[in-house]
Amino acid sequence: MTDSFSNEPIPTDHLPRLNDDAFVSVDPRYLRVSLTGVALAATAVAVGTVIIAVQANQKVVPLLIGGGVLLLLGMVAVVRTLEVRRLAYQLREHDLSLRSGVITHRVESLPFSRIQHVNVRRGPIERSLGLATLQVSTAGPDISIPGLTQADAERIKLLVTERADVVADEITSDAEMLPLSGDVTAPEPGSTPPPPPPG
Amino acid sequence: MIDLAAPQRQSPIAIVFLGLRIFRSLGIAQIVLVVLFIVRAPFDGPLSVLPVIIIGGFGGFSTLAWWRNTFQLVDGELVVTKGVIRIVRLNVPIERIQSIAIEQQLLHRLTGLVKVTVNTAGTKDVEFALDAIARPVAEELQRQAVTAVPALRPTDGTLPPPVIAEDQVGFTHDGRRLLLMALTMSPLTGLVVLGPIFALGGDFFDRVPDAGPDNVTVRWWWIPIGVVVFVVLSVALNIIRVFLRDWQLTLRSSPTGLRRTSGLLSRTSTASSVDRIQMVASAQNPLQRRAGLRSVQLATVGQGGLSLGGCDDVQFASVATLAAVTPIDEQQLDRRIHPAEVFLAARSTTLICLVLTGALFMLVGWWSLLAFCAVPYVWVTKRVGVANFRWGLQDELASSRRVISSATEQALLHKTNSVHVTQSIFERRRGVATVRLTTAAGAVAIGMIPIDEAHAVRDTILHAVETDTRPWI
Repeated sequence: MTDSFSNEPIPTDHLPRLNDDAFVSVDPRYLRVSLTGVALAATAVAVGTVIIAVQANQKVVPLLIGGGVLLLLGMVAVVRTLEVRRLAYQLREHDLSLRSGVITHRVESLPFSRIQHVNVRRGPIERSLGLATLQVSTAGPDISIPGLTQADAERIKLLVTERADVVADEITSDAEMLPLSGDVTAPEPGSTPPPPPPG
Repeated sequence: MIDLAAPQRQSPIAIVFLGLRIFRSLGIAQIVLVVLFIVRAPFDGPLSVLPVIIIGGFGGFSTLAWWRNTFQLVDGELVVTKGVIRIVRLNVPIERIQSIAIEQQLLHRLTGLVKVTVNTAGTKDVEFALDAIARPVAEELQRQAVTAVPALRPTDGTLPPPVIAEDQVGFTHDGRRLLLMALTMSPLTGLVVLGPIFALGGDFFDRVPDAGPDNVTVRWWWIPIGVVVFVVLSVALNIIRVFLRDWQLTLRSSPTGLRRTSGLLSRTSTASSVDRIQMVASAQNPLQRRAGLRSVQLATVGQGGLSLGGCDDVQFASVATLAAVTPIDEQQLDRRIHPAEVFLAARSTTLICLVLTGALFMLVGWWSLLAFCAVPYVWVTKRVGVANFRWGLQDELASSRRVISSATEQALLHKTNSVHVTQSIFERRRGVATVRLTTAAGAVAIGMIPIDEAHAVRDTILHAVETDTRPWI
């Protein structure tokens, strides 16, 4: 049923590359959102340590434990800061990519044609800072891009939805010309994807 | 042809199945309470009719549930209506159905009916089940779902005329093949049944007077004989299990789909269109390798993947071709991974053993150093694994691995949902990375390859997805 479908090797030098320099960093204010939890935890630990140390006979033990936890939270804060600095996304004509991770570097790419739905989420801290998180769902794994301004999140959501629709229409129109047996014709090897619609 | 456009009701036998399902949904604790209430409570006078009312009410509820449960095919949608107190109307576009399984349990066989379970991508569990319908109706439903291609649905919403095509039998496993399957594929699975019997053996001897090991002298040669008897019993039970489950395992193909049927007492038929198959995987343990057999799995979205045990190499190649995947023997699996994987695995194991030894030292002293025996084992197996690992990228991202058992995985590029390239600190130092292709039914990951190669693989996969307009789900 796929006899006429060919898929010759493509020289990878001619493929469009995901350019590392074209990633757009998230809003720096997202750092505050990211550190809020750590700050709250640190405050709770500090207050708890002081209360316990005041009431305890041996003040060294609670102070040592509290200090250790605070040190750990400080390290978490440093990692979070570096994470936010590295967090970036890239929109191309046909896909969306997210760069993340400090200890493990990670680049996730998601073609628009595989997107099932897009969702913008705003928590109370994000709302107070005018930020939003874009959640893009597929039949497989999902991608969340936090630290976008609300306007950017809505714009990207619209763009992604439109692009997903355009790609779905392309697939449908191509497939309607095919017989039911699934006899399909492959795109020319090395062919460039069609340009996005105007606007 | 059976007209599924008119509302269909299940066979009245379905009342029994519906009743059982409602009964099970009540929960074990509630069921026990109700049974104890009926059996133990002193019902005198007018109250003596209470158990009858409870049982009658339950029967009435099941009958009403059966009456309200209808299904029909309207404008390319499978419309299911169900519910007694709360009426639920479920509209499932037929092209969104991932697979339909037809099952015939013992009670179904006596009545000539079948059970149908419908899987979609929307839920991980079964979307819904029809407990007892006539086989021709079930087969018509299965055929229409498998032949429905989403892109060909006209804009007026009507379903295109189905392709009438005779199913062709790909292969059927005979009794000899089933025996080989049972002896090679997890032959000691029968232990699952025997385990509790042996565990309760002590209790049994305690309760039966003048029986059990207390009254006999244990001989040393009892142990090997016992082990042999134990293994033989386990294997025998496994043979029975395989014959019951996979009797006359048959793979049929039509121009648009594949259908797997098997079972002795409970006959199951699972069908899926080729477009919905996301990945093809195979596994082979040493016993299977000796017998020239392997287990093949065709993964589809949600439940309902086709599992084909006991395939020989020819059958595996034939299954791959039917699933529109290049047979693994014809794949150019000529790429390898970085040997640093061996060092990473050995180092991680050493660290874990160090912590474990420290913790166990308090309990068992220097014996805790035995934990380090894991390090050479991991080192050897990983070394063999890396030496035998091969992967390739053509129409599919394919990998083949072998240590003690062997396995292959193939994912069609145009079914990709996302591609990840990750680099841990260890990988960054050596300039390598891991690339992971994820489909709607699983993933193929290739670790420890040069970062440039990982980027090239990612770009190739994205290009394939974005320029290929074939249906993918």
